[in-house]
Amino acid sequence: MKKRRLSILIFGVALGCTALQAPGHAQNVVVIVNSGVRETAASRDDIRAIFTGDKSSLGDGSRVTPVTLKGGPAHEAFLKTYVGKGDAAFRTGWRNLVFTGQGSMPKMFDSEAALVDYVAATPGAIGYVSKATDVGKAKTLAVR
Amino acid sequence: MFRRLSILASLCACAGAMLAQDLSTIQIHGFATQGFLYSSSNNYLSANTSAGSLAWNDGAVSVSDSLSDKLRVGIQLHVYQLGDLGGPTLQVDWATGDYKLNEHFGFRAGKFKIPIGLFNDSQDVDAVHLWALLPQSIYPNDNRSVTLSAMGGEFYGRAKLEKNAGTLVYRAYAGYRPLDLNGGYVKSLDLDLAALDVEFGLPVTLVSDAPPGNIFGGDVRWQTPLKGLLVGFSAFDQDIHGSGGAIVFRVARNTVTQQYAQFERGKFFVAAETRRMPVTTFATVTTAGGPVLIPDPLDWRSWYVMTGYRMSEKLQLGTYYSRFADAGAGAGKDPARISNCSRDWTVSARYDFNSYFYGKLEEHFFLRQAGRALRPRHRSRLLRRLEPERREAAVQRSGGQDRIQLLARFED
Repeated sequence: MKKRRLSILIFGVALGCTALQAPGHAQNVVVIVNSGVRETAASRDDIRAIFTGDKSSLGDGSRVTPVTLKGGPAHEAFLKTYVGKGDAAFRTGWRNLVFTGQGSMPKMFDSEAALVDYVAATPGAIGYVSKATDVGKAKTLAVR
Repeated sequence: MFRRLSILASLCACAGAMLAQDLSTIQIHGFATQGFLYSSSNNYLSANTSAGSLAWNDGAVSVSDSLSDKLRVGIQLHVYQLGDLGGPTLQVDWATGDYKLNEHFGFRAGKFKIPIGLFNDSQDVDAVHLWALLPQSIYPNDNRSVTLSAMGGEFYGRAKLEKNAGTLVYRAYAGYRPLDLNGGYVKSLDLDLAALDVEFGLPVTLVSDAPPGNIFGGDVRWQTPLKGLLVGFSAFDQDIHGSGGAIVFRVARNTVTQQYAQFERGKFFVAAETRRMPVTTFATVTTAGGPVLIPDPLDWRSWYVMTGYRMSEKLQLGTYYSRFADAGAGAGKDPARISNCSRDWTVSARYDFNSYFYGKLEEHFFLRQAGRALRPRHRSRLLRRLEPERREAAVQRSGGQDRIQLLARFED
């Protein structure tokens, strides 16, 4: 029994070390906000906190509401670059907030175009799209 | 005496969690889970697990609406069945008005989930955990309703510390909560009361009245500068009251403390918690000769360490070791003695078939079950506080053994 426990423990530590060595992902997404948001830049920590439901405002106090893509390369790149989680872990975090009464699920979009349209039209909305996507009347937020 | 208990728990759950309908700002979410429990010997959690049991399910629906960017209201209804616990009655899991003035200050009023440690407020939300059963030393399934939520209010907020020292997240609350008459805590009290009733020659009664007991406390967690490392501390003060027939019981005001740490990086996480609960239960039995007071001092100390790894987007594996001991302050209890402690070594796997449906497979290697609301061959704790000869007589006469078998269904 002791041998089995030891094996499981070693397995867990080994997997952990592997995870810690995972390479980062290139930034190929941009964060966009409604043009009514005064702030022009945000820290990486703030973006992470906003998209995990920990925070609801930018550095200058501007209230923001996150919206996300349902999936796709831009969604995956954003999560890996800014949130540090995969999609399953990201959704689980939001479910935790929803089912404990601490937050509301972000609105999710099938396409980047739909997300851009929503952000452009909704005060306080904040989202992300591929660098190549036309952000229209939405504003690009610099991430420091 | 020494018994190793192995349990295989398989949970196939449909988290219709994200079957959300956006009606403007109104959100509706729900989940439903169905579990299967099988134990290699003995029964567990009041279900007939040695034969395999499906008597384990949970479901909830929440509705919330953002009335403004600062004010949100919502309610969640919950129903569960675990062996003989729970039932078809819908319970309000939480129902709050939530006003968030800014990042530093927000306030919730109504029925709110109590923040204690890493998982107390989410222990009835299976969809968010890798585990089918959280570490039972700190989050016992058959006892969870006692600290799950309260009527009252809480304030919450977060503050970024100077010099990149991380962020403090804080919550403080005060309220009250009645006992769940279908929960494991009350069911175990029923057994205590029945045994005492027989001992004193009184008609056997169940807990009929469990008025609100007060609870207040707080939780502070430090998101450290080391990305992914969280350290926290929770404390709460509580009391519990109730009665059944000629017996009035009271859990004296006591303070529970809990410390925890969690490190999460990419696909890997590790977490640990420790809890101490020194508490004394008093039963006052009204007899023809006057009231008899029976105190039962406990000092419950629990801890666990867990780790997990996400092999892929769909598959997550993990393991934990959980330990409980009753040091019984003032009662001469030896926490090292096997009858006063329990251990659980667990391995678990979760597979997400898609965003809405998942399954879990989990195996536990238990050693004893001290500290559970419903233990193997449940013997009244209060009854043990009586003199040995009166105690044995009461057990033999109680007829409570039948009910004990019904509730705990453990066999040697």
